[in-house]
Amino acid sequence: MPVIRLTDRRFVLLLLAPAGCFLAIFVAYPLLLLLRNSFYEVSLYALNEGVFVGWDNFVQALGSSRVRESAARTLNYTIIALSAEFVLGFGAALLFHALGKRSEVLRTIFAFPLMIPPIVAGLLWRFMLIDNIGIVNHILETLGIIGDASDISWLGDRDLVLFSVALPNIWLTTSFVALVLYTGLQNIPAELIEAAKIDGADNWQRFRRVTVPLLRPVIAVVLILRGIDAARAFDMIWIQTEGGPRFASEILSIHIYRAMIRYGNVGEASAIATLFMLGMVLASALAFAVIWGRGTSQA
Amino acid sequence: MRSPFASRALLMLLVALIVLVYGFPYAFLVSTSLKSPQAALAIPPTLLPQQLSIENYANIGEHPTVQRSFGNSIIIALLSTVITIALAVPAAYAVARYATWAGKAFLFVVLITRLIPPVAVGIPLFVIMRALGLIDTHLGVALAHSTISVPLGIWLLASFMESIPRELEEAARVDGCSRFGALLRIIIPVASGGIAVTAIFVFLASWNEFLFSLLLSSTGVKTAPIAIAEFKTQYSIQWGTMTSLAVLFSLPVIIFSLLMQKRIIAGLTVGAVKG
Repeated sequence: MPVIRLTDRRFVLLLLAPAGCFLAIFVAYPLLLLLRNSFYEVSLYALNEGVFVGWDNFVQALGSSRVRESAARTLNYTIIALSAEFVLGFGAALLFHALGKRSEVLRTIFAFPLMIPPIVAGLLWRFMLIDNIGIVNHILETLGIIGDASDISWLGDRDLVLFSVALPNIWLTTSFVALVLYTGLQNIPAELIEAAKIDGADNWQRFRRVTVPLLRPVIAVVLILRGIDAARAFDMIWIQTEGGPRFASEILSIHIYRAMIRYGNVGEASAIATLFMLGMVLASALAFAVIWGRGTSQA
Repeated sequence: MRSPFASRALLMLLVALIVLVYGFPYAFLVSTSLKSPQAALAIPPTLLPQQLSIENYANIGEHPTVQRSFGNSIIIALLSTVITIALAVPAAYAVARYATWAGKAFLFVVLITRLIPPVAVGIPLFVIMRALGLIDTHLGVALAHSTISVPLGIWLLASFMESIPRELEEAARVDGCSRFGALLRIIIPVASGGIAVTAIFVFLASWNEFLFSLLLSSTGVKTAPIAIAEFKTQYSIQWGTMTSLAVLFSLPVIIFSLLMQKRIIAGLTVGAVKG
């Protein structure tokens, strides 16, 4: 009987096999089914059947103004959430960095929202943003910023709602951005900053010419990770508005969910989801090339 | 120029202000949950309860479905943790220790899964689970949650295992230990701290997950996030009870996080900083 010798290569494959099989069955195969459904007319009640319709679902998806609007909203929501998180998080990281070791207690408290379940954050902000009994409008009224507690309808105003549903997301993840950037700042060798100081660079120049370029890889990773998560958001928005009022906060994942579950339009929803994923891959690759690539070519 | 002391005090003040703004919402949630149901909806709202009351917590007793959902969430999260750790430990070890082409490709694929919006694979997963007879079962939901946490677990564990000195296994191998023996007797015990942190991450990821639970569970194994979300539609909105549920639901997350805060932050940032 031939004995199979366990080489390093075989050993690695053996170790990877269980996780590999799992991911093949529960991630890769679903993705293939999604791709297949994009080309079929499928009903929610007979998911295994369906009629091949070629590119029809894609044509329909790209031609629908509701899809285009929710794609634009996804982009706007991501930009709102990401820019607020990044500016606030970077600001906080710089402050913590300036304080050095003394910032430890404050950092610990600041990290707290990291521990809050997204659904709780969504509910909590929904509660705080209610127009007449909500604490946010009450505080604004007390400070004299608005005349009456019912002046701002955070979740009811179609022009405002996309910003309002981004608030819990910003609240939860600013600390993540801040802590990652803080770690990055701590890893910058102090000698480099000193050298720039001796060369006569002022604060702003040191920040622009030394800190930011050295931090670029960390910034790239933070922006891409957070961007992906914001673009895929579902639960926090769902729990606040379910995409309302009148679709004003309906971003792509909510639109896809509705098209599939509420309207049973599995084929078109799958086509939208396929396009959505394609867009995410392209956007991430682009962000990676622009932010990271530029940094390394300069260095 | 300002004196260093004055500017430091200004910095401290600024940071304290930010921390106050970020800490306020949760403090307000806890405070509201301790008001009476009527006071929770008072106009204008008060910051602190005028009279402490546990009525909102006691009211949960009237909703058996919601109570059961917490049990479901615990079972599903534990199952998902066991599945993920069993799959991720060997894979992470292979990726971290043996620089093979397969390992690198694997790690890349794992990274790519982060780009998948859960809603995209939700319906196909539903079809697969139905074929396997796992709709509305704890195992079905736990498997769906594991699609998110297996990749996460592999990344976290690989970074923990990379920090274990190679000499440990080499010594064991020289002493006649097999490759599997080295993994079981040397690596797993040494990496147990990292495995524990990963297990907590995985547990919490499942505990918090919303969309797959929404698609794959109906009355039988409804998880707590879904029960809490539906609570509002079913009984209009009882904000008082809602706040007490939100506090109870976030409690395990907060306790776990506080217990291992340093490592949690290190874990969250490890993938990011190392890229």
